[in-house]
Amino acid sequence: MKWGGLVGAALLTLTLAVVLGPTRIPLGELAGSEIVRDLRVPRALLGFLVGGSLAVSGAGLQALVRNPLADPFLLGLSGGAGLGAVGAIALRLPGPWALPIAAFAGALAAMALVYRLALVSGAALDPRVLLLAGVVVGSFAAAITTAIVSLSEAEQLRNAFLWLWGGLSGASWTTVGVLAVYLPLPLLLLLGSARSLDLMALGDEPAGYLGADVTRVRRRVYLAASLLTAAAVAVSGVIGFVGLIIPHVGRMGWGHRHRTLLPVSFLGGGVLLVLADTLARTAVAPRELPVGIVTALIGVPVFALLLRRWVRA
Amino acid sequence: MILELDGVTARYPGAERDALTGVTLGVAKGELLAVLGPNGSGKTTLIRVALGAMKPAAGVARVSGRPAHEWDRRALARVAAVVTQREETAFPQRVRDAVLLGRYPHLPPFTAPRAADRAAVRDALAACDAEDLAGRWIETLSGGEHQRVRLARALAQEPELLVLDEPTASLDVRHEMALFEQIRSLVDARGLAALVITHQVNLAARFADRVVLLSGGAPAGAGTPANVLTRETVERVFDWPVAIQSFDGRPQMVPLRRVLPSHRSS
Amino acid sequence: MGRSSLRRWTAALLILGACAPRHRHPRLVRAPSVTDDAGRTVTLAAPAQRVVSLAPSSTELLFAVGAGRQVVGRTTWCRYPPAALSVPVVGDGLEPNIESVAAVHPDLVVLYRSPSNGAALTQLEQLGIPAVVLRQDRLEDVARDARLLGTLTGHPAVGDSVAQTLDVVTAGRPPVAHVHIAYVVWDSPPIVIGAGSFLDQLGTLAGAQNVFHDLRPASAPVSLESLASRNPDVIAVVDDSSAAATPSFAQRPEWKAVPAVRAGRILHLPGDLFGRPSPRAAQAIAAFARLLNTAK
Repeated sequence: MKWGGLVGAALLTLTLAVVLGPTRIPLGELAGSEIVRDLRVPRALLGFLVGGSLAVSGAGLQALVRNPLADPFLLGLSGGAGLGAVGAIALRLPGPWALPIAAFAGALAAMALVYRLALVSGAALDPRVLLLAGVVVGSFAAAITTAIVSLSEAEQLRNAFLWLWGGLSGASWTTVGVLAVYLPLPLLLLLGSARSLDLMALGDEPAGYLGADVTRVRRRVYLAASLLTAAAVAVSGVIGFVGLIIPHVGRMGWGHRHRTLLPVSFLGGGVLLVLADTLARTAVAPRELPVGIVTALIGVPVFALLLRRWVRA
Repeated sequence: MILELDGVTARYPGAERDALTGVTLGVAKGELLAVLGPNGSGKTTLIRVALGAMKPAAGVARVSGRPAHEWDRRALARVAAVVTQREETAFPQRVRDAVLLGRYPHLPPFTAPRAADRAAVRDALAACDAEDLAGRWIETLSGGEHQRVRLARALAQEPELLVLDEPTASLDVRHEMALFEQIRSLVDARGLAALVITHQVNLAARFADRVVLLSGGAPAGAGTPANVLTRETVERVFDWPVAIQSFDGRPQMVPLRRVLPSHRSS
Repeated sequence: MGRSSLRRWTAALLILGACAPRHRHPRLVRAPSVTDDAGRTVTLAAPAQRVVSLAPSSTELLFAVGAGRQVVGRTTWCRYPPAALSVPVVGDGLEPNIESVAAVHPDLVVLYRSPSNGAALTQLEQLGIPAVVLRQDRLEDVARDARLLGTLTGHPAVGDSVAQTLDVVTAGRPPVAHVHIAYVVWDSPPIVIGAGSFLDQLGTLAGAQNVFHDLRPASAPVSLESLASRNPDVIAVVDDSSAAATPSFAQRPEWKAVPAVRAGRILHLPGDLFGRPSPRAAQAIAAFARLLNTAK
């Protein structure tokens, strides 16, 4: 029943995203419209993939660091991606894909650095050190980014910051295709770790006695979640709240077993982001709002309501 | 023997002395072995080595004849279940779901819990007298209830060996007696092997078939309670004067006061 | 300042004024007072002789009103007119380094109007250095600020004539628009020029109708879909470099949904003339009209 509702909501939001837009296109002409085919449909699909990835990444990281406040961007990835993007603009890297590739590379570099820093005691990834390393690496990258911005012509770099606030304007069939090929691996890695994530909520030692290879699972989950986030940030900038809120909403409705929670988060994240992006495109048309602002504007009140209901129950 | 430790010595990285030195013990089916010792005597380290979470520096720990650290963790969790001293509750969940975690070592990847798993959860809850708790949230349980639920989770693993680390640490008399009676009856009825780590000398003496005394990580005596728990040994290991009396054919310890109360007649 | 020193100042200025190449009415220059673009009243004891300009547009304007030789500091980005290049650089225009500004002992600092310059303004006020806050988005702003800077630097007549030239240009009847145009200033997200910008004005006066004229701000992020459905004949981009390379966004698949991009109808506006509102508006409009004709 609840599943049916969620799948229905996903289909409904995707339909809305294709039907609604800043341009009025009669229903009968939707199928033949170039705007629908080349802009709206890929944008809706990309939004769904990105929102889903962020939510799954958030759910995985929250279990990994055993902290319900963990967010995919807490671990320094947004700082790294921002540095990559601003660097690409400041260096005037040529080519249509320079910005997303540089952002992706920046995110991966931050991920590798955080990972290396968190491996303080041998091969075990300490979640507390991981959080700390993420914050430190993120701040360091932000500092370098600000240094670059203040040393170069301000106009263009202000626009780079706008890119960082998140948006799906870069959606095309190419980006959808790249993500569709890229995402299954990290998603399956996370889904394959679902049971171990359940166990790890008990603490490392009890989880180990219940059959989880904590050291390996932790590395795998960190890598998979980071790969998801890095791809999301490369195609759409830093979109907040989806990765933080959706896993909680999922736990309220479906419990905290990750075998259910991860797919639920994927669908929920997709719904939230596509809905937010539809609003971002249409609310002030022809202008567009940064979608991260809309996710916060929708996500936070909904979350607050659910939280109240849930605490009372 | 399901679990054997043979001359095990273990040391934590960076530590100055061994946490365990030359410990030898064995637990067989249908047997309850208690490991007794004061705080810091290496009891928890002993569990880590016995279940392969830590590799011994010397000697070997075997589970069903195979070195413990060579076991695949999931396979080991189907043979041996551990109730640790403490665990975290990062995310809220219901008792039924918490006990279902005990079935994880048995579930093939990417499959939902099967009817057999749900039956095992029901049986485990029934065996621990915790069926009425199934729908409750873990955080709302009392200390005794929580301990019963965790025992049920361990039973849901359908293990041959049950290991408990200070299971009565925060329980009152009624609950600690009930828990030990439960463990004893599981051992007798199902032929489980049980290893109970405790500093409760009297409970160990009442319920265990054999006891191993640890002192500073080294063995200080092993055998039946009556043979091991003599006044001299207990005083030496726990560093406190005691009197030992017999009750139901088992030794019971009474700690003595070092400063005697002054008797005043009214 | 005492009465006698003021008189001496005035005398000096009269002599200077007499020597100035452009025609000026030799009259008594009183303490100049203006209301700047932030609504502040700026009153100087005497026309400024050491001006630090912290925005490329105001640097160009200072040179245009005949105060070029009074400019003693500029930003790295002030590169027009070429004579400006010999003025020492004092740093950046946004959040400027007040210490290096103060080091050249200015008696007037021209600040760009932006929230991030609030702290700089306070600091200058504390140091007792007069500052004027300017921002030119439209040609009217350039005209107003030409008068204002002319007054502050003791060239009111030149300022006035620059402004009048601009007034004539802006009051001119625009030709019938024969090209629909969109000005793309950034691609991710797409940001276009709206009615609040001088580019919109220049285009209109050159015969190009901005398809985003309904947007009131100088620039705003828009959805790519609106750009595609409004279907401009050409896409205008402002190029910093002289080499008019195809913008990289034109190669991205989603931009191909915009017909003008797909057909490669991109108009390159050179940055030195179109990068900011300038007193050379007439020249810019003529150049724009030529570009439109060749683009057709």
